[in-house]
Amino acid sequence: MRAWKHPLCLLAVVTAWLAALGWAAALSGTTPLWPHERVMLPAHDFRVVMGAGVEDDEALRIGAIGGDGNALQVHALDQLSARDFPVLRYRFRDFPRTLELSFIFRRADSPEDIHATTVPWPGDGWRSVDLRRIPDWRGQIVEVGFAEFATGQLVPASAAFRPFRFDLAELDSLSWQGGLNALRASWFGYVPWAYISVSAMTPDRNTAGASSPLPTLIAATLLSMLLAALILRWRSRRLLACVVIASCALWLLLDLRWLQGFDARHALTEQLYAGKSWEERDRLQPDEDVAFVAGRVRDWLAAQPNNQRVLVDADVQYVLLRLIYLLLPRNVGIDLFRAGTPFPPDSLVLLYAGGRWQYDAERRLLGNGAESYPAERVFDSGPAHLYRIRRTP
Amino acid sequence: MSLALFVAWIVPLAAGCSVWLALNPARVPGWPAAAVGQGCVAGMLLCAAITALSARTDTAHALAHAGPWLTALAIAAAAVAWRRMHGLAPTREPQPAMQPNRWMTALLALALLSLAWRAGIALREILLRPTYPWDAWDAWAVKSKTWVLLGHYVPFVPMQEWLAHPNPDTYTSMAWAYPTTLPWMQVWFASGAGGWIEQLVNLPWFALWVGLLLGHYGQWRALGVARRPALAGMYVLGSLPLINVHVALAGYADLWIATIFGFAVLAWLRWLQTRDATHLGVAAAWAVLLPLLKLEGAIWLLLLASAVIYGLLRRRWRRRVVLGLLLALFAIAIFGHLKIPVPGLGWVEIARNAVDIPGFGRLAFSWHGAALAGILSSMFVQPNWHLLWWLAPCIVAWRWRELITQDALRRVGALLLAAIGFLLFLFVLTDAATWAEHYTAINRLLMHIVPALVTFLMLLLRGVKWRQVFRGTAPAFAARSDP
Repeated sequence: MRAWKHPLCLLAVVTAWLAALGWAAALSGTTPLWPHERVMLPAHDFRVVMGAGVEDDEALRIGAIGGDGNALQVHALDQLSARDFPVLRYRFRDFPRTLELSFIFRRADSPEDIHATTVPWPGDGWRSVDLRRIPDWRGQIVEVGFAEFATGQLVPASAAFRPFRFDLAELDSLSWQGGLNALRASWFGYVPWAYISVSAMTPDRNTAGASSPLPTLIAATLLSMLLAALILRWRSRRLLACVVIASCALWLLLDLRWLQGFDARHALTEQLYAGKSWEERDRLQPDEDVAFVAGRVRDWLAAQPNNQRVLVDADVQYVLLRLIYLLLPRNVGIDLFRAGTPFPPDSLVLLYAGGRWQYDAERRLLGNGAESYPAERVFDSGPAHLYRIRRTP
Repeated sequence: MSLALFVAWIVPLAAGCSVWLALNPARVPGWPAAAVGQGCVAGMLLCAAITALSARTDTAHALAHAGPWLTALAIAAAAVAWRRMHGLAPTREPQPAMQPNRWMTALLALALLSLAWRAGIALREILLRPTYPWDAWDAWAVKSKTWVLLGHYVPFVPMQEWLAHPNPDTYTSMAWAYPTTLPWMQVWFASGAGGWIEQLVNLPWFALWVGLLLGHYGQWRALGVARRPALAGMYVLGSLPLINVHVALAGYADLWIATIFGFAVLAWLRWLQTRDATHLGVAAAWAVLLPLLKLEGAIWLLLLASAVIYGLLRRRWRRRVVLGLLLALFAIAIFGHLKIPVPGLGWVEIARNAVDIPGFGRLAFSWHGAALAGILSSMFVQPNWHLLWWLAPCIVAWRWRELITQDALRRVGALLLAAIGFLLFLFVLTDAATWAEHYTAINRLLMHIVPALVTFLMLLLRGVKWRQVFRGTAPAFAARSDP
């Protein structure tokens, strides 16, 4: 019996880890090891809807994006059951780190609705996603596709696109192989910086397959130690040694994973900003259109006598706050905080994409339903319009 | 690097280190690391203070206005430090009886190498990317950018005041009430950089991280932690993902609060160890800085001051204080509200159904179960803190005897418990719950106490015979073993 203790312990630990990984990947003992069914979707069968692409053998070379900054390729399907094919695999080559990849699909029950979800950045190899984590992946699927666009909150559209090759996609039936590959991609996949990054290490967007390995690793480690202690009849001193060593090992493992992610995030920063002057880096903002408008308004204001005050409004809070920052050192305030206080005479009002205000050019009135002021449009730049309030009502 | 930028860095570092050594001349284990680490952070804050006092009318030349004062301070402090250190023999540590395990040494070396690797990444990230995180440009850099680009100081006032007084040299901002310590520090470094270059203005966050690690390492050594465990602790603190993020995506004030709170707790512990009043003074100085960096710092100042003062009281007075607190709670329950002055915040009004905090607004009391899930997820599921929050209770359970026998550890433990209790109260029982549910603030507030928590854990593990532990010969629950 004693001779069998160590092999038995090893077997128990391996089983514990497999059980933990299977639990994390939502697999069971009856799940087959390899997929029984597979739908191959060669890239050359995809139709380019946005951007431009040419066939390259079975692959598709995407050489340009559409006018709105997106590229989109779709593939019609003949009523494929979502339940039977819950694992998506895809392979791209030279996929730029500046782009984000979305998987899109339509269902037979609502063909007019397009469902989109961000999937792990493809890099150069195969990536897998467990589509069971997407609540909308159900019923009969009539179309699938991929959309590529500049990584949100991070990459300026002008610097985002580089040609890449889309090789192949597959939809597989559930298997341990597919499930574990999807789990690996969700644990080790590249997650770009986002505004939430300073608050929590969690993806900012609706990302399929991005999860933390922490609970699984801890559960597997604890279970392994418990089994080993029972089988090998460890005393408390031995168990303490194992707990300490396992804790150190687990910390280092988690740290290696974090360092890999940290390095991957930084690789994008290097790609975007390395070798550029301070001014060039300053211009390469994710919101370069807002920065451009702010620069023009700032220059116009600088040419005016006195340090005139500007109240700013925009339809999106982020744009509003960015405008405020980018307009500095001009004397700017947020119009929303005025809370009904009348504009001081000769105030300037900057509206980006309308905000809550509308300008009646004929009557030269700026109003928002609750207030109305005689105003003159004094400067325009793209979606931004600057008005001077002539006098308070 | 231009000469001006070099001067902008070397002068605060020299001033901070000199001031630190003048106050802490004893050559205890880890003193060089403590001097460089804590001196570096102190120097950056000193340059903020002197810039605020001397360069208001000409921010573009802050270096020229504040530099001579800072240099004079550095020279004077260096002279005092030299005088006080002269003739003081270094404190000798007992040599370890056994040779260290080679495998553990190699692993520790690799861990420390990983710190250097992430330092390289963080430094490059700061130097390459314009200010990125939301509050960094929305709140913290607004005043400094305005003052630097205008070339002089202008006051920031609330919106209604701004509208009512059409003085073109009065500004407004969402963050008009935020403390100006960090903006003034940015003015100093912008002056050194020759203008508003965001990457160079954000560089102090890297120095802060180095200061955090070295400052803690040095003080742990002074508190009796052996070299290798202290290095391991430095790795633990330096490897925490969210702390790394706050360095790489520089611009938030939270890492400053975390560092300064950690330094204050360390100085308090040194005072508890040596009863040298200088350490208590240093702790007080660090603690007073907290609300000057960020409004939330006032809460940590209040908790730390309460813990220190409670510890100073005689036993019967402690009972009276507890009785007083119970009476205050009773008064709230009966009369409906109570006003408490909180340094840095103003009069905090506590009522039966809400708390009114100046600068934050009114937070109504109600149960938020989802926020509790958010807190637990932040601590135990998301990869924000590696295993820190899992290991902390395990280490306390393992080393509970140390808590019973060491008064200093009990006090720090009580302080941390109060801090966690406050966060639970804030997020689970008030409207602030959404900040935990959406993870927008919970981790940043947890970060404030993380360096102090690591200090607490390091001291709990101080007497562990690691060689015996790894060999499986150490008793699982050892009797107290002071170094």
